[in-house]
Amino acid sequence: METKINKNNNFYIPQIEKRNKQSKRFRLYALSAVVLSLSFLAFFLIDIIKAGIPAFTQSSVKIEISIDEETANNPYGILERDMSRLVSRAWLRSFPKEIEAHPEWIGTTQTFWALLNAEADQYLKGTQSKLKENQKSKLDALLQEGLIERKFNATFFFTGDSKIPENAGFYAAIVGSVLTMLVTMSLAVPIGVMTAVYLEEFAPDNKLTQIIEININNLAAIPSILFGLLGLAIFINFFGVPRSSPLAGGMTLALMSLPIIIVSSKAALKSVPASIRQAGYALGLTKWQVTKDHVLPLAFPGVLTGSIIALAQAMGETAPLIIVGMIAFVPDPVTSLTSAATVMPAQIFTWSGMPERAYIEKTAAGIMVLLTVLISLNTIAVLLRKKFEVKW
Amino acid sequence: MNMKKSATALLAVASLWASASANDQIRIVGSSTVYPFTSYVAEELGAITNFATPVVESTGSGGGMKIFCAGVGLDTPSFTNASRAMKPKEFETCQKNGVTEITGLMVGYDGISIAQSKENPKLNLTKEQIFLALAQEVPSKDGKSLIANPYKKWSDIDASLPKREIRMIGAPSTSGTRDSFDEMVMEKASKSFPIYGGKYKKIRTDGAYIPGGENDNLIVQQLAQDKDALGYFGYSFLEENHDKIAGVTLNGVEPTAENIADGSYPVSRSMFVYMKNAHIGKIKGVSEFIELYATESMIGQRGVLRTIGLIPMPKEMLKKVQTSVKNKTLLTKEMVEAHTILPLK
Amino acid sequence: MINSSAKRRDLIESLIKSVLIFAAFISVLTTFGILFSIIFESVHFFQRESILDFLFGTEWNPDTAFLSGTARGAEDVASAQFGAVPIFAGTFYITFIAMAVAVPIGLFSAIYMSEYASTKVRNIIKPTLEVLAGIPTVVYGFFAAITVAPFLVDLFATFGMEASYRSALGAGVVMGIMIIPIISSLSDDVINSVPHNMRNGALALGMNKAETIKFVVLPSAMPGIIAAVLLGVSRALGETMIVVMAASLRPNLTMNPLEDMTTVTVKIVEALVGDQEFDSSLTLSAFALGLVLFVVTLIINIVSIVTIRRYHKKYKISNL
Repeated sequence: METKINKNNNFYIPQIEKRNKQSKRFRLYALSAVVLSLSFLAFFLIDIIKAGIPAFTQSSVKIEISIDEETANNPYGILERDMSRLVSRAWLRSFPKEIEAHPEWIGTTQTFWALLNAEADQYLKGTQSKLKENQKSKLDALLQEGLIERKFNATFFFTGDSKIPENAGFYAAIVGSVLTMLVTMSLAVPIGVMTAVYLEEFAPDNKLTQIIEININNLAAIPSILFGLLGLAIFINFFGVPRSSPLAGGMTLALMSLPIIIVSSKAALKSVPASIRQAGYALGLTKWQVTKDHVLPLAFPGVLTGSIIALAQAMGETAPLIIVGMIAFVPDPVTSLTSAATVMPAQIFTWSGMPERAYIEKTAAGIMVLLTVLISLNTIAVLLRKKFEVKW
Repeated sequence: MNMKKSATALLAVASLWASASANDQIRIVGSSTVYPFTSYVAEELGAITNFATPVVESTGSGGGMKIFCAGVGLDTPSFTNASRAMKPKEFETCQKNGVTEITGLMVGYDGISIAQSKENPKLNLTKEQIFLALAQEVPSKDGKSLIANPYKKWSDIDASLPKREIRMIGAPSTSGTRDSFDEMVMEKASKSFPIYGGKYKKIRTDGAYIPGGENDNLIVQQLAQDKDALGYFGYSFLEENHDKIAGVTLNGVEPTAENIADGSYPVSRSMFVYMKNAHIGKIKGVSEFIELYATESMIGQRGVLRTIGLIPMPKEMLKKVQTSVKNKTLLTKEMVEAHTILPLK
Repeated sequence: MINSSAKRRDLIESLIKSVLIFAAFISVLTTFGILFSIIFESVHFFQRESILDFLFGTEWNPDTAFLSGTARGAEDVASAQFGAVPIFAGTFYITFIAMAVAVPIGLFSAIYMSEYASTKVRNIIKPTLEVLAGIPTVVYGFFAAITVAPFLVDLFATFGMEASYRSALGAGVVMGIMIIPIISSLSDDVINSVPHNMRNGALALGMNKAETIKFVVLPSAMPGIIAAVLLGVSRALGETMIVVMAASLRPNLTMNPLEDMTTVTVKIVEALVGDQEFDSSLTLSAFALGLVLFVVTLIINIVSIVTIRRYHKKYKISNL
């Protein structure tokens, strides 16, 4: 192909060379579009990971405290003044509870790894910090003496939101997401599957059925925020479902997930060959019996895959949840479906608006957790599809 | 088989719902300005006691009052935040709906500071000058009629002001900061021009006034870049960003914590939290929460809320507030009309 | 005996059928639920404000309505203006920027995947690109605000141009990246379904590969591609988190993409989570804006769905 063409050739048509060049250029455009979009993805992921990684470690300082009865009453006075400016208030305020749990400490001197506050932590991580020069040199000195250590940030995974950046965690949001998704899936899956069964197995092919099908496809493309308006007007204001609750959020998201589940379930049902149904009818089974005992079990993998994809999408949704009030300050993990909760994307949203710099890394770390969950869900869906794929 | 599974899931969900008991968690609504302070105290209550951490939602002062006054049921909020005192009309609504016993807590002050890039020479403005720069319509030269705002530069308003283009970056129209700015600067200043008849007029929309986002940090960033622009935001942002921006003096008064607390800085307001006394004993931690809020270590001169932007009240005032909270002083019509939460002498 | 059990069977059968019909109607009810909940509040809004001013006015000035919403007494209320044209303009402009990014990249990616790449490569590229569609929009919003916006400001500053931190360009470009996979995946399906005979015919007539694609494959896939683009437009119009986090709140009627602009969805969120009572004009304006958004996206969606269905019928594909 690349051979040089002899231009004195009788069959040589100059246009062909031009056309072939154009053809090559066209291929190049197409290739570069793919490369471009893939590099967007790569850049995007690297950017988020770079911002989020620091949040998974946090600095602590080794301190010795001689404990007496007084200590429990005034935890903020136990440290030297320049030290107490560096140690997290969240750590100090929980100190009395610690002493209460360990009465044997009273009268002794104990060594602790105390959490540093966000400004000190940011300085040690090399980002800009509002610390004064003498505080910075104090930190440098402590670092030299080996009294400062950066440890895995367990706080992030085991506490909820906090107004103290170094104490803020993702746990309450994770629990909130799980509970909300429970509501969403337990509503959307049965309704979605039933709709698909009706449309695929029972419905006559008439105008009404067509309208339902067009409506379902349309529902998939309606802006998500409008589902929020529905949730606000109907679930909260009309039916009195508590605001900010997993119930309100879950119901709203369920309606949003319906079309995905319906469409994938329909495809799964359709892929079950007619011969299975005919065999059932020949044995005298009713339509429902055939569907329930034979078609649905065979379509199950497809339904499951679709449900997982719907779950992943609902889990990342924020806009309608803002409208139904799921952006309250909720530090404790939610315990019931009717009390206020926050979910992972909503937590990411609230953190991204916080003034303190330390929240940027928290936000990115939250994004990493959320993306890990979503990508694993999607991978599971793909693997399931591969595993159960049957060619009839 | 699929159906059965979803049925069990539904059952599980139903049982979870049934186990819900609304009365072990305090709910707080109200002003977005007071929200960060109340959230901090809420978190503190959860951290140092065994009570559940209260849930705080930002609904705005007006919206908060509406939900708060809706009734005494345990599904209504126990507290509401307000960046202003309760209004007589709201008090009446409360009374009508059975919310008769209310105790107020004064949290402290919030100052709205006007600032510019640090590299500019110092600037002093009066409220009237700001008003003339930002109003949609201003009095004509003879003062007899209203004309569309012709001013492009500050020097057009007063020859002594610098020849800088008028550009003010401020809060969006839904924020509490904007509400206060409108009320304390624009509305007050409009009173000194008789032609308005005391009525508040609109802010101009030809680009001289730029509503920033809810994120005040971005306003700070823009001010550092755009040397001509002025911006206004809660005082805490000025304090935190002294390295980039400097306050503009208003009527000659510097925006500092002291000047805001003693009222000499003209754009400051008090913030309040109102408690529904009917919930004491019914929801765990209600009175503990408000008592914790009123402590020295929270809202005192050295309290922790100072670090996140609260301007604390003077010591003697705090003493009075603490006694009033301790005695659960009930709000009366007279107190509401006097815009206070303290008992009248 | 047989008779009675058959009767019972029939009874169960019809019972189940009605349950299934009911389930199928929930999705229809949802559409109507959305419509009614929006219309209901919109009517309240239009009772207060003129519908013509709303649709054709260029001044969005709800400040005074806001003051009345904070219970500040009627004496202070001057006339508020709810002219939504700048908001619509901002929405369409940001959508336009997004499509200017997404359509060429998405379409060319689709062409590469369906015409040039081997099946093996395609099976890797396609799901990888779809990861872009699976990323939550709040994440894109964070990316737009923290990375893209400062980058654009710095970039244009080197050319001596002043870009806003909340420019339409920043929000639009990131939104475009999000929409790439919607266009590439749908177009890829459509292009793949163009019968091979058509390609072979063109090649036999001496067209080279690019010409075959340009003059034969794409024209016959065009209805499907248009439908995919329309779906992308509908996504862009209704996208919320990216613009809430990266676009501005200021209604701004301008052609300069470096300036800040606002969109319908931003205004809806702003009106519903801000500092005012539920029955103020400003809050209700969220529903009026929602109504416009609903109607516009509904029309686009239906056109797109019907086009795709027709196309699929033509080439006998049946997954819609």
